[in-house]
Amino acid sequence: MNIFLRELKAHRTGTIWWSVGIVSLIAAGMAKYAAYQAAGQSVTDMLSSLPRTVQVVFGLTGFDLATASGFYGVLFLYIAVMAAVHASLLGANLISKEERDRTSEFLYAKPISRGRALTAKLLAGLTMIVILNLVTYVSSIYSVNYLGNGTGADSDILLLTVGLLFLQLMFFAIGALVAGLVRKPKAAPSLATSIMFVTFMVFYLVNLDASLDFLKYLTPFKYFDAAALMATGQFDPVFVVLAVAIIGLSIFGTYRFYSARDLTV
Amino acid sequence: MNAIETTKLTKYYGKSRGIVDVDMTVMEGEIFGFIGPNGAGKSTTIRTLLGLIYPTSGSATIFGKDVIKRGPEIRQEVGYLPSEVFYYDDMRAIDLLRYSASFYNRSTKAIEKRIRYLADLLDLDLKKKIDDLSYGNKKKVGIIQGLAHEPKLIILDEPTGGLDPLIQQQFFNLLKEENDKGATILFSSHILGEVQKLCDRVAIIKEGTIIEVEQIKTLLENSTKRFKLETVSAPDAAAFDIGGVSDLAVAGHAVSFLYRGHINDVTQMLAKLDLADLLVEEPDLEEIFMHYYQKGDGR
Amino acid sequence: MNVYLREMKAYRKSTIIWAASLSAMIVIFMSLYTAFSTDVAAVKSVLGQFPEILRTALNISLTSFFTLNGFYGYLLSFAILAAAIQAMNIGTGVISKEAAGKTADFLLSKPITRSRVVSAKLAAALSVVLITDVVFWVVAYISALSVAKEPFDAGTFFLMSFTLFLVQLIFMALGALFAVSLPKIKSVVSVSLPTVFTFYIIGMIGDVLANDQVRYISPFKFYDPAYIIAHGSLDGTYLAVEAVFVVAAIALSYVIYVKKDVRASA
Repeated sequence: MNIFLRELKAHRTGTIWWSVGIVSLIAAGMAKYAAYQAAGQSVTDMLSSLPRTVQVVFGLTGFDLATASGFYGVLFLYIAVMAAVHASLLGANLISKEERDRTSEFLYAKPISRGRALTAKLLAGLTMIVILNLVTYVSSIYSVNYLGNGTGADSDILLLTVGLLFLQLMFFAIGALVAGLVRKPKAAPSLATSIMFVTFMVFYLVNLDASLDFLKYLTPFKYFDAAALMATGQFDPVFVVLAVAIIGLSIFGTYRFYSARDLTV
Repeated sequence: MNAIETTKLTKYYGKSRGIVDVDMTVMEGEIFGFIGPNGAGKSTTIRTLLGLIYPTSGSATIFGKDVIKRGPEIRQEVGYLPSEVFYYDDMRAIDLLRYSASFYNRSTKAIEKRIRYLADLLDLDLKKKIDDLSYGNKKKVGIIQGLAHEPKLIILDEPTGGLDPLIQQQFFNLLKEENDKGATILFSSHILGEVQKLCDRVAIIKEGTIIEVEQIKTLLENSTKRFKLETVSAPDAAAFDIGGVSDLAVAGHAVSFLYRGHINDVTQMLAKLDLADLLVEEPDLEEIFMHYYQKGDGR
Repeated sequence: MNVYLREMKAYRKSTIIWAASLSAMIVIFMSLYTAFSTDVAAVKSVLGQFPEILRTALNISLTSFFTLNGFYGYLLSFAILAAAIQAMNIGTGVISKEAAGKTADFLLSKPITRSRVVSAKLAAALSVVLITDVVFWVVAYISALSVAKEPFDAGTFFLMSFTLFLVQLIFMALGALFAVSLPKIKSVVSVSLPTVFTFYIIGMIGDVLANDQVRYISPFKFYDPAYIIAHGSLDGTYLAVEAVFVVAAIALSYVIYVKKDVRASA
């Protein structure tokens, strides 16, 4: 549909730059992994004997750094943060841009309902998120296998990538909800990314202090934590259900609030 | 059927009033003017009709359909030109117009043809980027996107700002053309002269409420003009004593007065004088509204 | 001056939020020092057996890491990340807002030179950043005092804290440069966040891979806490790099802003 295609076109350069960024991140990370491998074997034993707090401080919790996939797991957190920033901004901007740029009087005076416009925009966002996700997957497989000389990591990478998709969708939906709710279109992306940033801080806190474990439900980064996923080889059903619920409720909320409120002029 | 019908339409922005109990009826096929000073509630009314904002209470229908419940359906037949035009900067004019056309259930070929015809008429280069267009040219894009799909109802919110007089004339001709074909036009403005030229009836809104709905003819008859003139030899004050003259002031060779009535009567009077200079001024909006307040008091 | 005061007022709420958030952040993190420091002895012996290359890669400095200053130095990196976002937001936003909000016509047709406009806006940005930092420093120092198990060198503490301001300065200057160079920035956050995060991630990767060249690219790596703790001063080379960059970026911003056309708003 016209709105769907227009949004894809408008975000074309952005999607390309973000993809380039993520591919560079993965490639650079794994490419130099070889140098690190020299100190490989003895590291694992030592690191595992470190107290938890120290491990967390270095972001090492639960990874076997001697393996390419373990190293990738550490790298994954940074990939996730970049993807989360992208998703939050995308969700917030897609919805708020019409009011921000004052084009709402053009678009919403057309014979379409706000719901239909939203659907088109959300689908465009979804498409871009999936594209970024696929780009991440392909470059991860390639980098880990060929640059990092790792083997047997493919199933782990697939698991992490699917987890990443959930993560992206969660932040995308939250971003959209924020934009649907908020009357000041310029505040939407800041608010959405602040929320993302706070959840990232909580992630760190939860990792640092075991007594704060109950907070893990507040941070999507914990739902699809690389270390946990690679250790158990599967998703925690509770987290998956929560993720789906959050995505569903946020999207529903976006429709509800955006359709019912006055458009800011 | 009535093109537009509002029933006690009210909108409050928090505590500040937008419009209060607006009852307005626009008949199909007429050109209906909507005048009022800035902040009176013209844009609020229009934006409510289009579903951009929601009324606090009251309701409105367009072609018999409720504007909130059947908004998208209604807007297939509506063309809207807002007072301030903002479009997507990354598009060219033709791109924006095609994008606009894609929303309507009309043959794209027909609309494209109409776009080109209108662009030609208004002298607009379709290949230019929106970002590179002057304000007036952006308004032209606005006009075309509002008219290209041949809507049955055209809603214009202070449309002529930024247009040069020649283009303005083209624009009015276009509107008359559409009206002859049966389109209804709602035209909001604070420029009295335009409204007088185009409209059949006009509603006057002030501070959120409709004060008066008049036929234009009546408005013309009742409108006051200020005459300022200079005579060659000192004038005789008695010469100005014809019906309709008020606020007469004579100072040496300079005379000024307000006149309300038939123009031909006053010009006949002036023809008998030996004039050096003559200036006829449109009443300003304050004078008009003063008039309508007085009229209300007099009832 | 009027432009300066207006900007200060415009950023008042944002400054309060940032100052409060950064302070809360450092307080929460510092409170974890207690848990962290009980494990010191055990960790020291283990780390002593690490190969040199690994220790450098993980940025572990045996002597200093487990002191309060060492711990603070590490935590500071997160505060600096957040603060960098604030700095770039305001460096970019304070200038780009006129074009984006179509108020450029209004402001620049007033009897004021364009360079004075830039000066006032940058001065406001600088003030906002300084105020935020001062609040942060005071809060951080108080938290440090309350969780410290033994006395720590306050001089080093403040020197490390000062790097917060130094890094912010770089991003503020970079933001200003972006603002005068990019045509119309509709969403400042969409420009500043990815930029800051990119530099941060470059820095992180450089860390893990023990790559020294990265230190010249990522402002986050200019001021190494370990170096400060060891030497009691900032590394002059990087101070020079920063100075050159900040001066160049700001000078260039002035030149561009003064010379560019102001597109008609509408």
